[in-house]
Amino acid sequence: MAVKIIESCVNCFACEPVCPSKAIYEAKPHFLVNPKKCTECEGDFPVFQCASICPIEGAILNSLGEAINPPGSLTGIPPEKMAEAMAELQSH
Amino acid sequence: MQLPVLNDASSHAAHGNKNGCSASSCGTTDSQMDTLPDSIREKVQNHPCYSEDAHHYFARMHVAVAPACNIQCHYCNRKYDCANESRPGVVSELLTPDQAVKKTMAVAATIPQMTVLGIAGPGDPLANPERTFETFRRLSEEAPDIKLCVSTNGLALPDAVEELSKHNIDHVTITINTVDPEIGAKIYPWIFWNNKRIKGKKGAKILIEQQQKGLEMLIAKGILVKVNSVMIPGVNDQHLAEVSKVVKSKGAFLHNVMPLIAEAEHGTFYGVMGQRGPTPDELQDLQDACSGDMNMMRHCRQCRADAVGLLGEDRGDEFTLDKIEEMEIDYQAAMEKRKVIHQAIQEEMDSKRLEKVEKAQQFKQEPKLTTRPVLMAVATSGQGVINMHFGHAKEFLIYEASPEGVRFISHRKADQYCGGDSTCGDGESVLQLTIRALAGCEAVLCSKVGYEPWEMLEAAGIAPNGEHAMEPIEEAVIAVYKEMAAAGKLDEKPEAARASA
Repeated sequence: MAVKIIESCVNCFACEPVCPSKAIYEAKPHFLVNPKKCTECEGDFPVFQCASICPIEGAILNSLGEAINPPGSLTGIPPEKMAEAMAELQSH
Repeated sequence: MQLPVLNDASSHAAHGNKNGCSASSCGTTDSQMDTLPDSIREKVQNHPCYSEDAHHYFARMHVAVAPACNIQCHYCNRKYDCANESRPGVVSELLTPDQAVKKTMAVAATIPQMTVLGIAGPGDPLANPERTFETFRRLSEEAPDIKLCVSTNGLALPDAVEELSKHNIDHVTITINTVDPEIGAKIYPWIFWNNKRIKGKKGAKILIEQQQKGLEMLIAKGILVKVNSVMIPGVNDQHLAEVSKVVKSKGAFLHNVMPLIAEAEHGTFYGVMGQRGPTPDELQDLQDACSGDMNMMRHCRQCRADAVGLLGEDRGDEFTLDKIEEMEIDYQAAMEKRKVIHQAIQEEMDSKRLEKVEKAQQFKQEPKLTTRPVLMAVATSGQGVINMHFGHAKEFLIYEASPEGVRFISHRKADQYCGGDSTCGDGESVLQLTIRALAGCEAVLCSKVGYEPWEMLEAAGIAPNGEHAMEPIEEAVIAVYKEMAAAGKLDEKPEAARASA
């Protein structure tokens, strides 16, 4: 039982101080979670603290490997709209 | 010292604004700070961010020690690493407090005009209290001649006021885009509060309450508060005059309304969703509407969270971590040198300001003209004089001349689009883009203008003028204004043609 930080992490530090188990640490190329320490906040908080402050959709996965904050859930940008804008940029 | 003043009434008339002007801000100045009590002016007169003239003499820097943020704004994208962009929230190199202190002292010793160190992100400084306060604590001790300032979204502000008041911090900037949770929900998708992510109106309401509470607490502690607002057309543009009133009534000393920056390639909500920023006219109208109630800041360059140098320039490249490591800094010696230089600059500024007051008063004594107001663009590299070649100008200062006198309105970037090749966009040349950036102006004053731009400017209805090279800006603007008035060019509305030039 542990969350996982993946490569879309932008190293903003926000999650590190809010972790009740001190399971998150600075690493290269991005922050990581020590799975031995992570408790998924059980007993401390009803929601994942790291994923509740993380600004990047998809950067933190639950123990099933699913994005806790799926695309569109934080920025409000519909994923297809984002894809459209990025495709437009690539074509230049 | 009384700063030169200039009447707000002209612009109100020009833009059909019904606000009138309050007794406090009517008068005659182009300084944004004409209504400040002397005690406050004393504190901010060498702060480059607080007056257009000071920023040509004094430099500021930001250190990027604060990466974390506790809210999301629709104009911000947290993937902030880009060396080629200049806007708030963007940095190249995140610093530890120790590195930030080294960098600050290296810059202060190398650029003695540097008076102010700000922490502005790239996240929210107060959401990183340990990193932010460690930096402030050490600088207060090791570099006591540097003014410290901090900007915040306000969410964590009430808890930080006590600590802020302990350091050498005499101003705090709070970004307040609204006082209405309905509007707030359209700007802030979520906040992190009491161990939960809170979305929508509920989150916005908490943020607004914290901002207002923090503002009141800072004022009670005697710390100066500047309020920044991002103008977002269709979202908060109609509401910001109200924000201005509210924050003034609570004691904020300056309001900085900035245009939204939103491009799809920034990956922000507003950028991707096609939210537009305000036109220069819309921004000016709003600033004028607010100015009846508040000192307005009009020269903000919306710099990066790791900017170094005079406003509008960035010398960050000279102070990367590896370069700082190699520098040997004797700060005691640097401080002595800095003191002498600061004094000399202050004297020069004071005498120029005095000269400006005299000229403004002289103009007041003359028979009053009865023209409409006119906008002029000025190319300058600083020191208050017209000293830049049209083609070299990266930005222009916009002044308004009217029967009431001259006032500074804003600055406009000449190279507004990416600095890449010369034919960015839809085949428009840089020259065409520059001329378009000057829309609404009827003259451009510079030290020289080349033959090609001369013709294009004339065709666009903007009279090129190189006759006032090295003259003080206000005097030159008045002189050109009088010529235009005498020629009858200011009797009628400007030709519509210019807008589409």
